[in-house]
Amino acid sequence: MPRLMDMGLEKLNALLLEMAVLSENAVTAAIDAYNTGKKSTQVNEMAEQLGSLHRQVSELTMELMARYQPVASDLRFIKSCFEISYGFFRYGRYAHDIVEVLNLIGDVSKCDHSAVQDTARKTLEMISMSVDAFTRRDVELARKIPSMDDAVDEKYRSHLRSVLQGKVDLKCALSAALILRYLERIADHASYIAESIVYISTGVEPNP
Amino acid sequence: MTQSLASMSTPRNRRLLDRLMNVLVGLAVVLALVPLVLIVADVVVQGASVVNLSFLTGLPKPPNVPGGGIGPAVEGSAIMVGVATLISVPVGVGAGIFFSEWPESRLSFISSFTNDVLAEFPSIVIGIFVYVVVVLTTHTFSALAGALALAIIMIPIVARTTEESLKIVPTTLREASMALGISRWKTVIRIVISTGKNGLATGILLAVARATGETAPLLLTALGSSFFLTGLSQPTAALPLLIFTYATSPYKIWQQEAWGAALVLVVFMLALNLFVKLVIGRKFSEIRAEI
Amino acid sequence: MEMEIGTHKEVDVAQPSVETSEQADAVPATQTKLEVRKLKASFGSNMILKGVDLNIPDRRITAIMGPSGCGKTTFIRCLNRLHELTPGAKVEGEVMLDGTDIYSPRVDPVAIRRKIGMVFQKPNPFPTMTVYDNVAAGLKLAGERNRKVLDETVERSLRLAFLWDEVKNELKKSGSALSGGQQQRLCIARALAVSPEVLLMDEPASALDPTATAKIEEAMARLKKDYTIVIVTHNMQQAARVADYTAFFYLGELVEFGPTADLFEKPKKELTERYITGKFG
Repeated sequence: MPRLMDMGLEKLNALLLEMAVLSENAVTAAIDAYNTGKKSTQVNEMAEQLGSLHRQVSELTMELMARYQPVASDLRFIKSCFEISYGFFRYGRYAHDIVEVLNLIGDVSKCDHSAVQDTARKTLEMISMSVDAFTRRDVELARKIPSMDDAVDEKYRSHLRSVLQGKVDLKCALSAALILRYLERIADHASYIAESIVYISTGVEPNP
Repeated sequence: MTQSLASMSTPRNRRLLDRLMNVLVGLAVVLALVPLVLIVADVVVQGASVVNLSFLTGLPKPPNVPGGGIGPAVEGSAIMVGVATLISVPVGVGAGIFFSEWPESRLSFISSFTNDVLAEFPSIVIGIFVYVVVVLTTHTFSALAGALALAIIMIPIVARTTEESLKIVPTTLREASMALGISRWKTVIRIVISTGKNGLATGILLAVARATGETAPLLLTALGSSFFLTGLSQPTAALPLLIFTYATSPYKIWQQEAWGAALVLVVFMLALNLFVKLVIGRKFSEIRAEI
Repeated sequence: MEMEIGTHKEVDVAQPSVETSEQADAVPATQTKLEVRKLKASFGSNMILKGVDLNIPDRRITAIMGPSGCGKTTFIRCLNRLHELTPGAKVEGEVMLDGTDIYSPRVDPVAIRRKIGMVFQKPNPFPTMTVYDNVAAGLKLAGERNRKVLDETVERSLRLAFLWDEVKNELKKSGSALSGGQQQRLCIARALAVSPEVLLMDEPASALDPTATAKIEEAMARLKKDYTIVIVTHNMQQAARVADYTAFFYLGELVEFGPTADLFEKPKKELTERYITGKFG
């Protein structure tokens, strides 16, 4: 028997799915821009759109709580949706930041793209897994994500170490460092999203 | 799409039918009231001229001698009804309480049924019963026998009205009382009866009214008398008996005095009923509204 | 869907639950006031309670929740031995009040009802009595004659029920002349006047408007300092608002029992989850 609140929950879910796909595309586009050097305003638009969607999610969660006083799995779902949407919003934000770095620094075609591409591949995989896990409420898939965060962290730190050793050209070093930092933050958010997904089903609080 | 006012008004034949029904019902009410009104009017017209203080308190005179009174009849009725009330109230109220508060008991079920049957019994049969049991064994007609017959008539009425008044008291009040740690007995006496007391009073007064008007049983028990009471084991006068005797006699003056006695009886009944309806009835409905 | 029915104690109330101490008064209970063991109740051939085991914590508010017909009203009526007064009703099992079985043949039910009081769904002040007499009824009918004791008890009880200020100048008014919400608080005062240890409340606010309900809930929050309260409610939000512990009943059985915050955020049983999220019932 459908409940009054179910319509609201479906709308919430739809908003989050939209944000999921959009944020994954934004980060992919940003990495593409780094690889190919082609500039576009696409990523900025997507980031803004994500911001607006996050605000809508925020309002909807408040409305659902005030009107329906949800409990148990509904309550956990609504709380998590708010946190997860923030995560997707941040994906978009960092994608925008990556493009900003490229705009600032300019031509990086002569730099060694391997570190970034490697990390980007892992990060994109984490993003894709987080989107899938949310879409299908797949707790097992979600549980795999936080451990992948370590690899990304390690890549970021080792790049910093080689920069400090002075082995890399400044322009390349700086652009790579900044982009790796953003990728590392994206990976963190993917972990948070994964934990929220686990919380919806099990009620086990995510670690702060 | 709005409808015009005309199309929403009651169709003509329905209005006519409505009015016709109103008229018919009104006619029925009038028809029902006519006998009562005619009787009262008749009694008043015929009897008013006879009634005065000496009539009410004086001794009867021999036939065709004017100036007789109905004093002994008034006294006799009052005493017999009084004694009957003293007997029937404790028994009837007690039985009513039992029927209402312990309905699950087998005894209660059987007695309640028996009670209802007794209430509808022909009063002459009750008179015969008391005649056999009391009058024959004591070898005399008596006021006591008369009172006993009246009591037997009154008990079922009191029991039934008591039972019904107490049954109206909502169960939740009994539960509230018991939930306070008040025993069942105290709950019944202090809470249930207190709430239903108006109904009880009504029942008792209506039983009194009924008993005052009973004639048949008194024919065989009290017999009648022309003198004031000297003791309960003597034959006694009573208003209905006097009316019967005088009205069926060939003497004009006695017939006149019968009308006077009838007037006294009717006034008494009307006054009692009005008292019940207006005084007790209003208090009763106040409590009913809050329940 | 697997349902573990309460054949064992659903919660060990001596074990503190750390996650739920957000509310100041969700401090874990240290004692059990009423221990219910294998309680079965029937009416004629209808088995209403099928064997309930539950520990009611001392001086806390415990809510009993569940869909219509789940036995929650019958349950609390078994706690003050009111159920057995209905012809055809039967009770089996034990209810231990501070270690004594209230159904023991040596125990006087009347005395038990003085220790375990009850407030009913529809306010039921005695219609022929004044406000004062209503509150004093329990004492007076038990034989108390001392005017001073009665006066003090009436005032104390009316204060506890948050009604004193509204009626202190109208104690001679008929009990039925008060508004619905006031009448219910009057009934609470009346129940408190006999100094019970436990107060049972059967959907006390269901016939009242939100303001009156709020007053009753306020009174309950203060009362639990000194009284153990068990409230039957079909209103989940009310249970969530006032209760420290909540029990969920279904078809005559206890499904789940625990601190309210836990039960409403992370119910352990699928059935509980489905009921409180409105997926059935």
